[in-house]
Formats: sequence, structure tokens, C-alpha cells
Amino acid sequence: MGSESVRPAGGSGGSAPDLSVRLFGRTFKTPVWPASGCFGYGREFAGVMDLSQIGAICVKGTAIEPWDGNPGIRVVETPGGMLNAIGLQNPGVDHFLTVDWPWLQERGATVIVNIVGRTVDEYAAVARRLEGTGVAGLELNISCPNVKEGGMAFGTTPRSAAEVTAAVRRATTLPLIVKLSPNVTDIVEIARAVESAGADGLSVINTLMGMSIDIRRRRPHLGNVFGGLSGPAIKPIALRMVWQVAGAVKVPVIGIGGIMTGEDAVEFLMAGASAVQVGTACFVDPRAPLTIAEELAQFMAEHGYRRVGDLVGAARLRGAL
Amino acid sequence: MTMRTLRQTQVQAGWVRERARVLTHDGDGEIFKLTLAAPAVARRATAGQFVQIHPLPVGLPGQPGPAPTGQPRPAAVMSNGQRSQASPRPAALDPLLRRPLSLCEIRPEAGEISLIYRVVGRGTRALSAVPPGAMVDLLGPLGRSFPDPRAGQGRLLLIGGGLGIPPMAAAARWAVQGGRPVVAILGARTARYLAGAREVAATGVPVITVTDDGSAGERGLVTDALDRLIGMSEPASGDRAGAAAPDRGPGTEDRIGEVWACGPEPMLAAVKERCAEAGIPCFVSVERFMACGFGACLGCTVPKAGGGYLKTCQDGPVFPAEEVVLGGF
Repeated sequence: MGSESVRPAGGSGGSAPDLSVRLFGRTFKTPVWPASGCFGYGREFAGVMDLSQIGAICVKGTAIEPWDGNPGIRVVETPGGMLNAIGLQNPGVDHFLTVDWPWLQERGATVIVNIVGRTVDEYAAVARRLEGTGVAGLELNISCPNVKEGGMAFGTTPRSAAEVTAAVRRATTLPLIVKLSPNVTDIVEIARAVESAGADGLSVINTLMGMSIDIRRRRPHLGNVFGGLSGPAIKPIALRMVWQVAGAVKVPVIGIGGIMTGEDAVEFLMAGASAVQVGTACFVDPRAPLTIAEELAQFMAEHGYRRVGDLVGAARLRGAL
Repeated sequence: MTMRTLRQTQVQAGWVRERARVLTHDGDGEIFKLTLAAPAVARRATAGQFVQIHPLPVGLPGQPGPAPTGQPRPAAVMSNGQRSQASPRPAALDPLLRRPLSLCEIRPEAGEISLIYRVVGRGTRALSAVPPGAMVDLLGPLGRSFPDPRAGQGRLLLIGGGLGIPPMAAAARWAVQGGRPVVAILGARTARYLAGAREVAATGVPVITVTDDGSAGERGLVTDALDRLIGMSEPASGDRAGAAAPDRGPGTEDRIGEVWACGPEPMLAAVKERCAEAGIPCFVSVERFMACGFGACLGCTVPKAGGGYLKTCQDGPVFPAEEVVLGGF
């Protein structure tokens, strides 16, 4: 473990903290990954950062065929956050495999492919196409609130969430992470269902469904009316859900929701996440996955944490005693 | 019946992140002009491109180019050449996202750019409070510019409506420097909303000013003046651009050979329609809400002619008019 680890700048005393994490049978250079939908396929960021330094790039939600996405206004800022209703616009898995994946490989990137589908069969078909390609894992988007006939339906009941997870599990030998929707009554119930169905890890959380109204035009801002809320506004909710899920399952949890700084990442790790993803922060600072990893290392150095694992669940210990 | 435009919008150089010092910042409470020392952006920028601006120096390392995680935390590069450690980062930025603003003036020789914007919400209100001497955070130049004016034929007509006027200053300067004959139609609701017209006129191009209420220039719409210039209506006395069959060969340099337009989308749609009828190549600069501004979020799409979407930030904001479906905003 850690033979390829990156040791970012930290305090001067002692050895620098080790940011590498071992998950799903492989080592990731850092536990701070760009979240799906916020980093494209990495191309737009290559001019300002070395993509090989990122723990893992969770690429745009990818379907079996190209999807056009939603008409009308797709993004709007709200206090402490933003709403999006992109509609999972993506070029399809064949485009990914012929154009983006070779390009990412040339740059030494570690890639987790987020997959989307309208039916269980479509999810499984994307997973089959990615088998044996060398991608580091799959992240199943069962929770995107944007497409009426898309992810939302799968992620909202334990039965349908387990069904799609099991189908993809049968279709792939790759590490399978399931990204949970927060727009449910009991996220723990869903987390347990997808763990039982074969998930190797859980991403917690996707965006929270919300809306905003343009009062001058007397209509919703978003063409889709509803959109997914992300950014610092959702961080306390995300943190609470990570805490709940991490306490209920054995598989690793990847914390997501409004992380803007290294200290935000520390909170998620202490709540029980084994790694984190940053989404909206990438729009403000394209280098956010590296910047936040550097800040995490700085915090670890200043507070005597040598490995990321020393932080994971650290805030839970008091309750356990 | 759309004509094929062979001329292309372009990207001259990749974007950078730059901390820029506010040189001047003047406004009337609603419309502001911001001049920035931003040499890296100024050096790379071309008319029609934009910057994503955050009113706070976001507190993240402003280091352009790769900075491997294993290296010491990079110091921010300030536009005045000094280096300073990144400031502590606020846990929650307000506003959160950057705001996209078109470049009004680009002065690579001075390392300066200017932006003109209207306060429309929390982001622009926060920006309007930034004093001279403060630092703002830029990504840019972003997007595709207008096509090279030197390569086009005939007289170039610039049309700016409202907040679409400011980018026409950079366009006018580029055309003048390239030796392209150029004329501008600048329109707004009232004289107050002609911000940027002074900057356009300062380039030396002839300007036709139009306002809805006649408080400055002619009373009417920019399309009235456009119709006259391209001969879609009765020519005004002394105006000889009324020929029925446009022949943009040598010797007809005063005839409008190309139109670049920026402004409200209904105006762009009207300009596009008239140019299509007259067989004149037309480039439009469109505006959208954006999250990232550099192609990652897919939040700023504009419908593509024939189906699907184009990204305003990366495929635009300047598009050959026939490539996009206008009027939705």
C-alpha cells in the first residue's frame, strides 16, 4: 500500500501524511475525487492540472446511447448552492470508449465511469461494454433527479434500487459503487438493500431536488422546473446521511455534498466516509480536487494524522464508547 | 434557406486563471464599468470572448498550469507580479459561482481589460461593491471569438443591443486594426442603457445610435437601421446600400458583407432572419446562465439547428447564426 502514494506538502515536522487510500482492491493517490457531472470527461481541466494526480475521476454519467439533455435553462445559483437540470446529456458509452477513454489513459488518469440508464437492461449494457477496458470502477447513478424516466425511479425504493444493482452486479466484475439519492424517506434502508444486492461501495449523496422561481417572468427558472441542489447549502444534510449510512453498512462510503475545502473533506471522513467527491467546487476552482487534497494533507500534518484511514470515522468513536 | 458560412469562430489560446487588480470601477448603481490589470487574459483574448469573474479572490491557489499534489502549495500569482500565499478560504462563498462577462476592451499592450455589466442579481451586486485596488478572480479568456475580420469580405456591420454593446468595442478595435471597413448600430431602450457606446465610438468606427424612446440617436429599433443598411427597406436619402442583388465583389466595400451581433435574443433572432434573407453571413453572440464557463457542466446549452445542443461557453458564445436556434430566452 502506498507505493504510488503522493505526499503533499504538509507540516514540516515528521513524515508528511500519506493521502493514498486503498479501496476496492486498488490504491488511489488521493481520497478527493471530482464528482460525476462536474468534471466532464476531464478534457476541459487538462490545461490547468495534471489529471494523473487525481485519485479518481468520476466521469460524466454515461448511457448506452447518446442523450441530448434537457431544453431551456439548466442551471441557476441559489443561496450557498446551485440547481441543475442538465438532463444527463452525454455522448454515450461508445463515444467514451473510442474518444475519451484512450485520451484519459494517455494522461495516466484513474477513471470511474458513472453509468445511467432508462431501464435495468440499459444500465447492464453499459456495464458490459466497460468490462475489461481497464477503468477503475463503475458508479451507478440511480439517483439523478433530472430525467423523468431516468435514475430517480430506481433510487427511491429499496426493491428497485436493489434490482438495478443486482443486474449490473451480474454484468460486471469491476468495482461497483452505487450513488444514492437523498430524495428518499430512509436512505439507510436503500443503502442496506443495494449492499445486499452486491454493491462494493456507496456514494452518498447525489443532489437534493429543489426549484426556484423567476418572479419577474412568473415561471420556474429551470426549463425542467425541478433541479438538483448542490453546493455548500447541502453539506449538513449530506454529512448526516454519510454518518447514518456509514453506521449501517460494511462497504466503503464515499462522501459527497458541498465540499469546498480540505476541512470540509475532513468532516466527511470523520463521519465515516473512506473517500470524498467534490462537484460544484470544480466549477469555481477547476483545480478543486487537487487543492482540497492539498488542504486535507495540510490538516493531517497539523493535527498528527499520518494516514487517511486515521480520520475515517474518527468522530464516531466518542459515540461508540 | 440558410447560406453556408465558411468563416469560423475561433479560439486563439487556452484559458488561464488570473488574479486581477481592479484599476477603476465606476457605475451609476445599475450599470458598471470595471477595468482590470489582467495581463495574462489580455494577451490571450480576442473580441467576442468572455471571462468568468468572482468578486472574491476565491482563496484558492491561483497557479495556472499543472501543480502536482506532491509539490508545495503554490503561491498565488498576482497580476502585479508579486507572489502571495493564498488567503484562507471561506467555507461557503457567496456568491458561489463566477459570473460570465464579455470582454469590452482588450488592451494587451497595457495588460488591461475592461468589462461593462448590469447589476441583475446577487452575483453582480457583490461584484459592484469591489473597490479599486482590490483583487478579483478570473478564468479566461473563455469561448470562441468572432472570426478574423481581415479575412471577411465587404463592410463589417456590428450590432449591439443593450448589454450587447460592450463586446462590440473589442470587435470594433479588432476590425479597425485589421483594416476592415466597419460600421456599428448600437441600440438600447433609453440613452441610459447605451453603456459601451462610448467605447465603441472611441475606436473610430462610424456609429448609428438607436433608442426605443429616441432619448439618444434615432428613435426605433436596431433592425430599422439594419434594414436600411442592407437594403431591406427604402434607403434613407444619401444612403446607397439599397441594391437588390448584393454583389460583394471588389469595388463594393461599402456594402455590408458581414454582420456580428450581440444583444437580447429576440433582437438576435430578428437580425439573423434579415441577414439570411439578404444572404449576408451573420455571427451572433448569445448569453446564458453558466456554472463553470469552460465546458464541463453542460449548463449553458443553446439549441443546435437540426437537433441537439451546443455549449454557449465552449462552442460559442459567438456562433454562425444558422447553427443555433434563437428566441428561446
